[in-house]
Amino acid sequence: MEFAIISALNGVIYGLLLFMVSAGLTLIFGMMGVLNFAHASFYMLGAYVAYTLSSLVGFWAGLLVAPLVVGLVGLLVERYLLRRIHAFGHAHELLLTFGLALIFEELVKLFYGDFPVNYQMPDNLRFAAFTVFGTDYPFYRLFIGGVALAMFLVLYLLLSRTRIGIVVRAAERLPSMAEALGHNIPLVFMSVFGAGAALAGLGGAVAGAFFPTNPNMALELGVIVFVVVVVGGLGSLKGSLVASLLIGLFSSFAVGIDWSLASLFDLVGLGPWARSLGGLMTMTVSSISGTIPFVLMLVVLLVRPAGLMGERS
Amino acid sequence: MSPPVSPSVRTPLLLALVLALLIGLPPFLDLGLQNALVNVLIAGLFALAFNLLVGQAGLLSFGHAAYFGIGAFATLHLMRAVEDGLAFPTPLLPLAGAAAGLAVGAVAGFFATLRSGVYFALVTLAIAELFHSLAPHWEGLFGGEAGLSSMRMPWGGLIFGSTLEVYYLALGWVTLSVWLLWAYTRTPFGRLTLALRDNEQRVRFLGYDAHATKVIVFAISAMFSGVAGALQAISNETANYSLFSAHVSAGVVLNTFVGGSTVFFGPALGAAAFTLFDHLVSDLTRSWQLYQGLIFVLVMLFAPGGIGGIVQHHLRHRRQLDWSRLAGPYALAGLGGALVAAGMVFMIESLSVLFGEGYAVLRRDAGGGHPPFEAFGAQWDPAGPLTWGLPLALFLAGLFLIARARRDIAALWESVRSAPAGRPAGRGPEASARSAPSGSPS
Repeated sequence: MEFAIISALNGVIYGLLLFMVSAGLTLIFGMMGVLNFAHASFYMLGAYVAYTLSSLVGFWAGLLVAPLVVGLVGLLVERYLLRRIHAFGHAHELLLTFGLALIFEELVKLFYGDFPVNYQMPDNLRFAAFTVFGTDYPFYRLFIGGVALAMFLVLYLLLSRTRIGIVVRAAERLPSMAEALGHNIPLVFMSVFGAGAALAGLGGAVAGAFFPTNPNMALELGVIVFVVVVVGGLGSLKGSLVASLLIGLFSSFAVGIDWSLASLFDLVGLGPWARSLGGLMTMTVSSISGTIPFVLMLVVLLVRPAGLMGERS
Repeated sequence: MSPPVSPSVRTPLLLALVLALLIGLPPFLDLGLQNALVNVLIAGLFALAFNLLVGQAGLLSFGHAAYFGIGAFATLHLMRAVEDGLAFPTPLLPLAGAAAGLAVGAVAGFFATLRSGVYFALVTLAIAELFHSLAPHWEGLFGGEAGLSSMRMPWGGLIFGSTLEVYYLALGWVTLSVWLLWAYTRTPFGRLTLALRDNEQRVRFLGYDAHATKVIVFAISAMFSGVAGALQAISNETANYSLFSAHVSAGVVLNTFVGGSTVFFGPALGAAAFTLFDHLVSDLTRSWQLYQGLIFVLVMLFAPGGIGGIVQHHLRHRRQLDWSRLAGPYALAGLGGALVAAGMVFMIESLSVLFGEGYAVLRRDAGGGHPPFEAFGAQWDPAGPLTWGLPLALFLAGLFLIARARRDIAALWESVRSAPAGRPAGRGPEASARSAPSGSPS
């Protein structure tokens, strides 16, 4: 019971963090057809910018300014790099963002070194929210989840209730028609790209203070975020929320489960035979918890490529 | 898209010359360079195998490390069996890599090619990550986190102890594989592969099974990637799960597109350039991968055809080109490129020193101030105007020269293009952007 509750809490919080990063990615893909390999780099940049600012102007100011800085970087990337090579097709855009992801990682290594930096939450946030089964549950985890939920709410209301939202959704559905009606579609694209980058930056600024901030964080999270976006359906905001929570819960529960394929065979009395085979048969779920998201992604891509909530494939 | 291969009369002559150099030169080189050349051969074959899928079939894979790694592990298993007494000729070891690459590639390819475009790229990425996350926990097959190791066994009077012997073994296999890959492009099936890239729907309407064709192309590409992995295993005598990492997949993408995916030998060119550069500068700088990323992005932005694409473009128009008029602007652009590169390198290396650990120690010794630092054999003041003004001036001067040269070059190419067939001048901004090779990216 203790394991179930703690795992569920951690899973939901991790899922919400994944959502913060994948929201921008899925919006950008839905609108521009660009799968942005550099998106997780914006998450990393957010953490590093917030780290730098927090030592200069304090934690809270850093938290607010870092997303703006990262959003500005996103705007510049779209305006001066992506738009230049739009004519060469999606494959080229994909490759360009791929190259940018490499450059961002190396730049971070250049300035901050190839090791984790000491980006910490302020002391007045370092307390237990509540106690379950004798374990203190850190308040900051709830804070991460709260920021993500607030972000989802704002984003959802913005897209569904405001005039900006209507234009953005129109630009996503039928860009040329929206342009014919007099909307500045390149500006909309650039803004969405910048906003997506800023959201990822916010995620990094918030989460970097709790999880390690190191040059590998973009690569590690980036692949998982792809999984989230694919499972949820490329372009679907709600889908990526569901998929984020699903992957978050999967990962946090898998760590504590020591079933293996052999224990399945136990049910029909073939357990010892399966154990004698070794290899895949005796690998426990906990040891391959990192593998499960990719299996899930492969299954979704092959069975339902549009994802759980996507409309197109 | 331009045609993938340029059958020119001089090509066989040039290839023979390159091969002769590859055979004759290494005994006179030092050990480090011999090792680097082995890596060049492996990276070159890997890039060519990868490009069969990317450049010729138009399927962008982000997980080719999977088949490279599979080839390496399969070969190591065979090497261990040979160590235990199995009578298998050492020079034929890469066959294990080829077989494993083909088998795994056929299965992975079957699933991956069910999807196209971005989804295909994501499936290949997921498959590679699957191997990467599984391998450290699979003791029997991948040797856990430590990986597998073995020894090259002597065979038929050959000891395979020296780097030179390994080099010639690799050269033999790479020559054979590259020849097979080249021959493949000349077969009807090779033409079908190109048709798949250019218009898949039409291929289907002509009665071909597009999916089956893609699976075969994928498997063949994986097979030759497996051979490259096998050669790596033979050369290093060890392998671990890091062979499956995203960095290996990224490396081959970089090599291929900087070299030029639309030209048959382009990827090998890119692989050779990057691997040799890596060998030459990895002692001098910590930022080699940053330069690699910058070069890649610059090529993507300004020369989407890569180095090979630029060379091919010039060869195709070689009769119309008036070199006496082009030489000036080209030299100017080259000088501009060199200045830009010098400015960038200066800036990056200075930053790398200033933000490095060594400088932190210097600062502590100096009591928290900013003592001068050493770079390029001179002392620089971190706050001095010269330290930042010099690279900036170099950079801006270079940009200015390139802009000047680019205008002249574009005008000259415009006349080349409109002259022979009497085509209307100006085919849109893309064409001229493609033809103006701005600033040699190095």
